[in-house]
Amino acid sequence: MSKTVKIALAGEGGQGVQSVAEIIAEAANEEGREALYIPNFGVEQRGGVSVAYLQIGDEPIGSPKFQTADIVVALSDRAVRRTKKYVGEETTFVYDTSIEGIEDDLPKNAARILAMPAIEVSKNELNPRVFNIIIMGAVIKATNVVSEDDAKAALEKKLGYKFEQNPSLRELNYNALSRGMELV
Amino acid sequence: MTEKPIQEEKRAFLTGNEVVAWAALAAKADIMYGYPITPQNEIMHYWTRMAPKFGKRFLQTEDELSAGFTTLGGVLAGRKAFTATAGPGNTLMQEPMSMAEMMRIPSVVVVQQRGGPSTATVIYSQQEVTMTTFGGNGEGFRIVYSPSNHQELFDYTIKAFNTAWKYRFPTFVLGDGYQAKLRESLTLYDPEARGIELIEPEPFLGTEPVNGTKSYTNMRNTYNTEDELYDIIVRYGEEYKNIAPEVIEFQEFDCEDADVVIVSHGVVSRAAKGAVQELRSQGLKAGYFRPVTLRPFPADQLRAIADKTKTLLLVESSYGQMSKLVKEAIFGSTVALEYLLKPGVGVTSEELVAKVKQMI
Repeated sequence: MSKTVKIALAGEGGQGVQSVAEIIAEAANEEGREALYIPNFGVEQRGGVSVAYLQIGDEPIGSPKFQTADIVVALSDRAVRRTKKYVGEETTFVYDTSIEGIEDDLPKNAARILAMPAIEVSKNELNPRVFNIIIMGAVIKATNVVSEDDAKAALEKKLGYKFEQNPSLRELNYNALSRGMELV
Repeated sequence: MTEKPIQEEKRAFLTGNEVVAWAALAAKADIMYGYPITPQNEIMHYWTRMAPKFGKRFLQTEDELSAGFTTLGGVLAGRKAFTATAGPGNTLMQEPMSMAEMMRIPSVVVVQQRGGPSTATVIYSQQEVTMTTFGGNGEGFRIVYSPSNHQELFDYTIKAFNTAWKYRFPTFVLGDGYQAKLRESLTLYDPEARGIELIEPEPFLGTEPVNGTKSYTNMRNTYNTEDELYDIIVRYGEEYKNIAPEVIEFQEFDCEDADVVIVSHGVVSRAAKGAVQELRSQGLKAGYFRPVTLRPFPADQLRAIADKTKTLLLVESSYGQMSKLVKEAIFGSTVALEYLLKPGVGVTSEELVAKVKQMI
């Protein structure tokens, strides 16, 4: 039995962190694992940072939120400041290289800090629309919570109707997933 | 005859609000009356999306007073009706529910607690315990289930309908914003396929004449004299006391030799369970007690534990509403009490482990 993996994903509204968390949770559930996903919601999320809390394991999950994450992904300056409280000695802290002015805000106590050029890659190599799928690739690679195939199946389930209309979108999303996996 | 909403058992991955809508369908509810309020809105969203396929109905009212009273009207007319609310909506709901308490109208209300008092947060709390167990100008002759996960949310929502119609005390499923919004897995099932008999509703008013004679029904919430009222309330009190032993539900483990027993309910008990398991794995004598029914409260069961252990650690996402119920239940016990009170915010296993270690 592996221990439950705790993931906090944070970004600006529209960056798609909630979709990523939901798709990974669904993929884990499809594998027959225990998954729990809860967004921060309500007034706090309007104009603020959007945080998704995700836990995946083999035993029923305990409390829906947690104090210390195994991996924290922060995609904006405010997200970095908001989520560093979830960092502990064993946490991997991932942030986007394009975020400016956060040098002093990066957590000092993380096990590993990883800068990832996801925004740049999405703009220059792929399409800004699949930015969050790059993040998804990075998360599943860093945590091993679901396999790449199951992640693809979950994408198919979520976006299949769009892929039907435009099959090139499937390839774009799959490429984004692989590219994200290469970044960590 | 429309098809059954759930044909065979299946694993599903849903939000708690979706779970409640599925459970109401599975329990053969006929109609939901409701007024939107976060974090329970999606119960009515999903209900209105799914219910018409199965010949069920929905009415959005002008507020929660009306949602509660129309629910009772539906029940009097013989429909299995229910409503759902939260926070300030639950406050308004107390008026119709005290009428239900007085007139012994079976009713099911699902509450997804949010922060309070007043508008406060739309997110989460366990601050509607006092109001849901003892709200309104009555004596708290109600039944309140506090589920902790999606499987229980499904099970107890189905059960609530049978409980309400069997005992005719207002019945509440007391969830919270976290349970409303989180996604996790559960097994959906058709209760009848599992041998759970669902009580059929019958009209209380407007019944057809029998042999040409129309019978006379008088359901009262108004009494002319003090004595009349006194007799009724004392009778209700006796009935409530008599049914309590078969209604009460609770969970406990590792209490036998425990130095500290963590007492919590609802979603917080998930953290307590994890904490006790962690503490035991470190050789520390912690135990777990969880009232599943907050009303009636498992008083004798908790008292028995209080007589054996040194300390009860009372943990809740409110400033002491469950603690009040606990203290009444164990009155006379000399067990020490410690608290972790976090009004309007969640509790994690990690902080509970730290708290217990500090105490031992």
